[in-house]
Amino acid sequence: MLRREVVVTGLGLLSPLGDEADAVHEALLAGEIGVKPIELFDPSLLTTKNGGEIRPFEAERYLGERNLRPLDRTSRLLISVAGRALEDSGWDEARAGGDRRELSLAVGTTYCSMHTIGEFDRRGLKLGPNYVSPFDFANSVINAAAGQAAIWHKLTGINSTLAGGETSGLQAIAYGADLIRTGQADVVLAGGVEELCFESSIAYSRAGRLAGGEVGTEGNGRPVPFDRARDGFAPGEGAGLLVLEAAEVAEARGAKIYARIAGSGAAFAPERNGDFAAALARAIAAAWTSNGAGGGTLLCVGSGASGARELDAWEAAGIARGLEAVGAAGVPVTAIKANLGEALGASGVFQALSLIATLADGRLPGIAGLDMTDEGFPLSGVSAAAQIVTVTPGGLALATAISADGPTIALLFAAP
Amino acid sequence: MERIEIREKIKDIIANVAGLKREKIGDEDSLRDDLALDSLSLLEIGVDVDYSFQLNLPDERYKELATLPQMVDLVEARLAELAPVSA
Amino acid sequence: MVSIAVTGLGLATPIGLGHETVWPGLLAGRSGFRTVALFDTSRHGTHLGAEVQDFDPAAWVRRLPVPSMSRASHLAIAAARMALADAGIDPEQITPEAAERFGVTMGTTSGEPLEIERLSDLMVGDRLDELGPELAGRYPCHLIAAHVASELRFAGPNQMIPTACAAGNYAIAFGVEALLAGRADLMLAGGADSFSRMTYTGFGKLGAIAPDLVRPFAKNRKGMIPGEGSGVLVLERTESALSRGARIYAEIAGYGLTCDAHHMTAAHPDGDGPARAMERALQTGGLSADDVSYVSAHGTGTPTNDKLETLAVHRVFGRGRKVPISSIKSMIGHTMGAASAIEAAVCALAIHEGWIPPTMNYDEPDPECDLDCVPNQARQMRVDVAMNNAYAFGGNNASVIFRRPHAQA
Repeated sequence: MLRREVVVTGLGLLSPLGDEADAVHEALLAGEIGVKPIELFDPSLLTTKNGGEIRPFEAERYLGERNLRPLDRTSRLLISVAGRALEDSGWDEARAGGDRRELSLAVGTTYCSMHTIGEFDRRGLKLGPNYVSPFDFANSVINAAAGQAAIWHKLTGINSTLAGGETSGLQAIAYGADLIRTGQADVVLAGGVEELCFESSIAYSRAGRLAGGEVGTEGNGRPVPFDRARDGFAPGEGAGLLVLEAAEVAEARGAKIYARIAGSGAAFAPERNGDFAAALARAIAAAWTSNGAGGGTLLCVGSGASGARELDAWEAAGIARGLEAVGAAGVPVTAIKANLGEALGASGVFQALSLIATLADGRLPGIAGLDMTDEGFPLSGVSAAAQIVTVTPGGLALATAISADGPTIALLFAAP
Repeated sequence: MERIEIREKIKDIIANVAGLKREKIGDEDSLRDDLALDSLSLLEIGVDVDYSFQLNLPDERYKELATLPQMVDLVEARLAELAPVSA
Repeated sequence: MVSIAVTGLGLATPIGLGHETVWPGLLAGRSGFRTVALFDTSRHGTHLGAEVQDFDPAAWVRRLPVPSMSRASHLAIAAARMALADAGIDPEQITPEAAERFGVTMGTTSGEPLEIERLSDLMVGDRLDELGPELAGRYPCHLIAAHVASELRFAGPNQMIPTACAAGNYAIAFGVEALLAGRADLMLAGGADSFSRMTYTGFGKLGAIAPDLVRPFAKNRKGMIPGEGSGVLVLERTESALSRGARIYAEIAGYGLTCDAHHMTAAHPDGDGPARAMERALQTGGLSADDVSYVSAHGTGTPTNDKLETLAVHRVFGRGRKVPISSIKSMIGHTMGAASAIEAAVCALAIHEGWIPPTMNYDEPDPECDLDCVPNQARQMRVDVAMNNAYAFGGNNASVIFRRPHAQA
């Protein structure tokens, strides 16, 4: 069976810490916090008033003079990073030069545009069904952003949307890599998008999942991954896309190779509590086995820990078991959601971009604000300060994520 | 309402929906050709115009329109229809 | 090339639950259209919908609490249980080790819209203080696949693919790949969507809803009718199915996924995306258009879809031969993310049973839809290869091809 190598040849991101991958890497290394008072909507009903908001987000800067009215925030975020990724990879130039290859798109998102859906429905309630907005309806399907991005950038290959909460982005990258591996596509823009909005934030707040405790009390809680005093996550947003490409296609056009997608694995935790660790460990084992180069050295881990009280503990336990099984116990482990917040559909690609940067220069961001971990915390490789990783050619970085609803996922990146 | 007022208000709506500068909208423009409005945009404009002027017209009436003057005609006629009849 | 078998089917539709009820109903031309019951349509321009009738979630959701999830998840679990039973598998007998290799992948258009509608009700009514933890617990669409897996204790790959009205086919494609790559031994693949005022209002605003009946390919067709439901297929590698003595309805020969990249709600006028999807599916299956016995159309009944679908079909099949192509949306309406999953089950049954369902309500032929659409009467015929087509908002096109199994247990 055909199994091609998949490499990363381009990047694009929009995050609370900026829109340039290098600058975001430096900001993470410096421990900069992009989680700050929310201005996009009134957060007074939330347990925390802080979020990872992209401010300012001037879509015109990325999208130019064309009509943006039919696009909502989620679509604008995704279309913007798609343009940056196409530019960074050299594909926009290649296509301008006549290359007619179909480009595919795999987008991870939890809600797509919960705000747009809410607006559409509320307007119908207030003004009657005859006065709903057709534009909003078009943007109310969960694959709307992927569709809008495909139209804007003429991506006529395979177009898919993957939804898995915190795991969405890594799911999309794994999906895109598989399309290339099995010969269904040569080039796939893969990543994710999620907007910060009142609707999703109030949902998490009422479920007690956001940092902060009681509404109306002072302080914004402690959304610090793995920290003993953590009390929830800070809601975030963002968008990011990797350009995944078949290795022979990338080599033929002399593309810059950022990293190789070495493998992926996914598993589900049916009980959705203690069995998360076992599920994530299985996902990591499956990713390890699927690594086409066979073996290799695992250098570091970028986890999806966010400050969630129980989820962080289960993720740590799962990572510990996974590392043990591949003889990599004790390698450095980080989590970047203290800096960026929980960006759901965009988190996975933020994790990916951060690890790709680490594989390039050997510097792994610390876990900003980490004070003490839980008693019996199983990962010795966590640190509040940035760490140095000795990167060897083909050295591996592992990204992990778990969703409170059961899905877990692991993705391996190899240094070029 | 004066015809020119109606036209200006419609132009505001079209400018908003189509992301056009008002100056770019000519008084005689055709909707699909000069203004390059697609079917979804025309539907959105129809909703906004109907709500704005409180016309309560079925969508089909807006689908029939080809030009801005025709849209102004429609609104003008409907407003006259809806105006309270003086004794 | 490893072969993938369809060994179980589960259906929750506007004309009944279970293929034992639905299949005869489709062949008999049963209609699932009724006056909308879920909400008041007095201010809408149309009043018919295709809602699932007499559905008791408690009959199907046994392990998890019924109120812990919303309607699409209920329907999905029902279809999943039916499919497993149909495949001769008792979920209680699956060992935890085996369950690690059993996965779930589902498609949807709106996820759980009833939950965000409730949020809207509270926001507009200024009653947000009534909102508790249930929105986060019931709304995100990936819960549909997650709830199915939690209910059945499946611990393998779990993937929600919300690619709107083509989502079922996307999920089936994902399931196939998971099995081929050896990531799972069994995949439940399908789709689910719940009826909602939001979806109904939106399609109504687009002018897409028919006032009376859905008449795919007919000259006087006036639109689609929104529906709800769930379809789930049990997929396994053929060799595993044979070794456990499973009945194999059909095998999956190939699939093709493409994107128009043209317009959010309107298909490209030359039918290119759908044609390429069909061609790619044939190519991956090592088949030619002449090999196809039957096509399950997307056939929503809107003036545009049916015309463009005809164009695409002619491009792929040529104008000479008229491959039978019917639309069950003429009976159960447009069940959104469930549609292509239900239609996939229909393809499997067509092969297994040697019958194809009709396109109902076909009165006057439309010269622009010059197809053999199996008008008004089911047809008995041998089906060796069935193609399942689905097209979605955002220009997502998906074709999956089923073929007669090479061997039976």
